[in-house]
Amino acid sequence: MSNFSFLNPFGVLDEPGTYMGDFYSHNFSKKAKEGTVILNLGPQHPSTHGVLRVLVELYGEYVMRSEPVLGYLHRSHEKMAEHKTAYGFLPNMGRVDYLNAIGWNWAYAASCEQLAGIQVPERAEYLRVISAELNRISSHLVWWGAFVLDLGAFTPILYAFDDREDLCDILQRVTGSRLTMNYFRFGGVGADGDERFFRLIREFIPRMRERLKMYRALVTDNVILRRRLEGIGSMDADMCLRYGATGPILRAAGVRRDVRKAIPYGIYDRFDYEIPVADRCDNFGRYWVRVEEIEQSLRIVEQAVAQIPEGKHIVDKAPKPAWKIPAGESVFSVEGARGEISVHVISDGGKSPYRVKLRAPGFSNLALFAEAAEGTLLADAIATLGSLDLVIPEIDR
Amino acid sequence: MITAIWDQLKGLYSLIVGMIVTGRYFFAPQKTVHYPRKVVDPEDLAAYRGPLELTRGKDDESRTRCISCQMCAKGCPGNCIKVVKGTEGKLPSTWVYDFSLCCLCGACVEVCPASAIDFSHRLYLVVTSREELVMDLLADLKERVAANPLKPAPDVPAAAGQKAADAPSAGAAKNGEV
Ligand code: SF4
Ligand code: SF4
Repeated sequence: MSNFSFLNPFGVLDEPGTYMGDFYSHNFSKKAKEGTVILNLGPQHPSTHGVLRVLVELYGEYVMRSEPVLGYLHRSHEKMAEHKTAYGFLPNMGRVDYLNAIGWNWAYAASCEQLAGIQVPERAEYLRVISAELNRISSHLVWWGAFVLDLGAFTPILYAFDDREDLCDILQRVTGSRLTMNYFRFGGVGADGDERFFRLIREFIPRMRERLKMYRALVTDNVILRRRLEGIGSMDADMCLRYGATGPILRAAGVRRDVRKAIPYGIYDRFDYEIPVADRCDNFGRYWVRVEEIEQSLRIVEQAVAQIPEGKHIVDKAPKPAWKIPAGESVFSVEGARGEISVHVISDGGKSPYRVKLRAPGFSNLALFAEAAEGTLLADAIATLGSLDLVIPEIDR
Repeated sequence: MITAIWDQLKGLYSLIVGMIVTGRYFFAPQKTVHYPRKVVDPEDLAAYRGPLELTRGKDDESRTRCISCQMCAKGCPGNCIKVVKGTEGKLPSTWVYDFSLCCLCGACVEVCPASAIDFSHRLYLVVTSREELVMDLLADLKERVAANPLKPAPDVPAAAGQKAADAPSAGAAKNGEV
């Protein structure tokens, strides 16, 4: 049988203008083996979580080769930074990764603060930790629901969104928005938490703990889920380090690396919490690490709410919108929900930053997919893709 | 053979546990706000950022506090504000705001020296064209003032009784839909 491809049903490959599909699928199908089918997974496929496109070469049900194609959601955030004032770029940070807006807020604000030598007040540090951890929980909840949805279970996502609704309400109380939050300012945060904000958090923590028990009974201990995840999509420590994977993926491979512990920023060294590490490298390991992280984040929030001191939520004489970053460069890393977020700001003292480089964890994490999915069933490849917790806007930026 | 049966039983058990959890939630209260039959609790919207609105003046509540200083227009990352100074003192003659460009970042509200702007809590805003998103906030303020005149301008004498009658209804309207 000759090479058959839906993109190229007539077998004409090399004459420009005569082949079907685009540049990527054309090149990808050149290496196709005898008897395989080339398939476009995405960009409008629901299980690619946005507009990721993955080219896969299938032999029957098995994935022989795959190649992610990026760029469908590219919004030039880095370029925008060169045209806006430093302050005017803050709202972009909530939009790079819409599920973990606060993590990006933090990385950019802290990077500029480091350059300008601005000290953040005590209360603002606590508010930062509280909002960042709540945002981490809400991000993991969306991932959890969507991941289980990828595997074919519809109900859990409804529960996840139920809890996320509470988190949105809490975060809206201080940030003013529910998704693309723009909360951090240079030298503090945008608004102080009021009495209702802290009360809602105090009510949320025990309720979420109960819900985690329910999640365990409903999903984690489910035999079907275990069989779908255990031993599938192996990404060992060596592979993670080779591709530069960070976050839960690296920790699921047994490497204890979390920026909050490795390079403690803010006031993370004041809290008592653990870094969940699994030593099984498979999809279930990554699942387990994220679910455990929700529990650990709850612990941090609980302590932070108990300890928060009175004071200002932003420094006096905080930078105004026309503020110019002093010349120099600085890099700041934070632990986002998906891994290590770094923001590298270079300034020549002008109106806008000279260059802002955003290091998105999802980009490196996605790189593991092609190798991990090789030789697995297509349905398992989808599970592996889901376990990477991809947010495409963040990858494309 | 025995392990196979055991596996089946374990699988069945985990399914039943799942069914019990789901069954319980079948009867639990819902969190969804069924708009338009229900609306969101206004208390929850206290910090919600809707389209901008001009706040009412301190002394004369029918006037804007804006002093046409242009700080908001300059600080806005989306260039969505246009303020033109009028002939009457420092008051603006035009205050146009393009909601379709606004990212609700809050820079304008924070930078305004006169606290003349604030986020409204208009959650249920619906328009059918882009042009409607370009809002004339002075006209909007006038409309709101006409709907409930909180305090009349000092040079217009008003009956004390009418003032007292207006105040509670105006307060209620401000909480609900401004
Ligand atoms: S909220 Fe931000 S984008 Fe919107 S008008 Fe104000 S400064 Fe401009
Ligand atoms: S910053 Fe305030 S006072 Fe100045 S032009 Fe804008 S709304 Fe008016």
